[in-house]
Amino acid sequence: MLNMVSLGVLSIFVGFLGSLTGLGGASILIPVLVLFGIPVKEAIASGMVAIIATSSGSASSFVRERITNVKVAMYLEMFTISGAIVGATITTIIRPTFLYFFFAAFLLTAFLRFRHALKEFMPSPAQDRFSRWLGLHGSYFDRYTGQVVEYKVNNSLLGGLGMLVAGLAAGMLGIGAGAFKVTVQENVLRIPPKVSSATSNFIIGMTALAGVSVYLFSGLLNITLMAPMAVGTTLGAVVGGRLLNRFSNKALRVLFFVIVAYLIVQMVYKGIASL
Amino acid sequence: MKNEKLGSGESGLETAISYMLIVGVITSLLLEIAGIILLYRSYGNLAISQDARVFIRGRDFFTFIYQQFTGSHPAGPGILLMTAGIIALILTPYLRVVASAIYFGVEKNVKYLVITLFVLIVVTLSLTLH
Repeated sequence: MLNMVSLGVLSIFVGFLGSLTGLGGASILIPVLVLFGIPVKEAIASGMVAIIATSSGSASSFVRERITNVKVAMYLEMFTISGAIVGATITTIIRPTFLYFFFAAFLLTAFLRFRHALKEFMPSPAQDRFSRWLGLHGSYFDRYTGQVVEYKVNNSLLGGLGMLVAGLAAGMLGIGAGAFKVTVQENVLRIPPKVSSATSNFIIGMTALAGVSVYLFSGLLNITLMAPMAVGTTLGAVVGGRLLNRFSNKALRVLFFVIVAYLIVQMVYKGIASL
Repeated sequence: MKNEKLGSGESGLETAISYMLIVGVITSLLLEIAGIILLYRSYGNLAISQDARVFIRGRDFFTFIYQQFTGSHPAGPGILLMTAGIIALILTPYLRVVASAIYFGVEKNVKYLVITLFVLIVVTLSLTLH
């Protein structure tokens, strides 16, 4: 049976894997907690708190380096927090059985990043009227190419709706939904990949706060669960981020497929068992 | 200082937010670790409890914070420190939105002041109305 020390150690390992694979700590930790007999709703609510720590910690340096676009983030947060509040409210009232299946289904969106990773990003030369009115544009210094990259955001309304869905899933399942957010930002809003990742990280913390605000007094937030999860996943993510470049892309991809496949099978099994 | 012209153009805001995030997270994690150590010294074990005293309860978040500083703490100082860590964590993104609202207000950027206030008001209501 888990105690706070073993959960802390497990969270470090999961935070490390979450950082290496890009899945995020909570997406892996929630199914693992369920495996150890923690009620799924309690695992989801505690996962949301851990997300605030990991995303805020990693977002800090991106904001300082001006890669994160704060205006884009503020605009998109209107949608993600609304979705998260609705999603978290649904979780507090529906049968846990549905959550297992929703979780497994949403894990599939993690594969989206491979689809767009294959295509070279092309900045949009023009901008629609609404995005221009919002002043959604920016630039950042790309250390890899040594150039300043300028970009204009497009399709802000459609992108906002995409973020509403991302927020709904995040609040409902206690995860960051980072892969989905990045996909919407790159493919719909036409934001460069590095800015998308950095801005998504930034938004995830606020979205998690909105989800937590619903779970606060629902009797699901267990301090003895949240504390080791927050500490462990954040430390694991820091270590993972530093070691990321030492692994080959192929090894990371295999690790990703193995983990996602295992998590999907486990959640579907748990869902069927609880019918 | 080429970098100061980059990003969304709000360099002062970005620097402030960056520090708020990292200070909030480090404070929170230190409080959690100190709380876990104190809890072990008080009880001699670190079991994941289902005791009602380890669940966050109250009427609204801000009253809950007030009660932590004024009320008695039957669960002991370890749980109190861990609760303070969770409060610091929840306040971290909240305070960066407050800072953003102040910044856009000072800059007289009405569009983004309205957007930021929308986010702030929705989250405040959600933290308050239960």
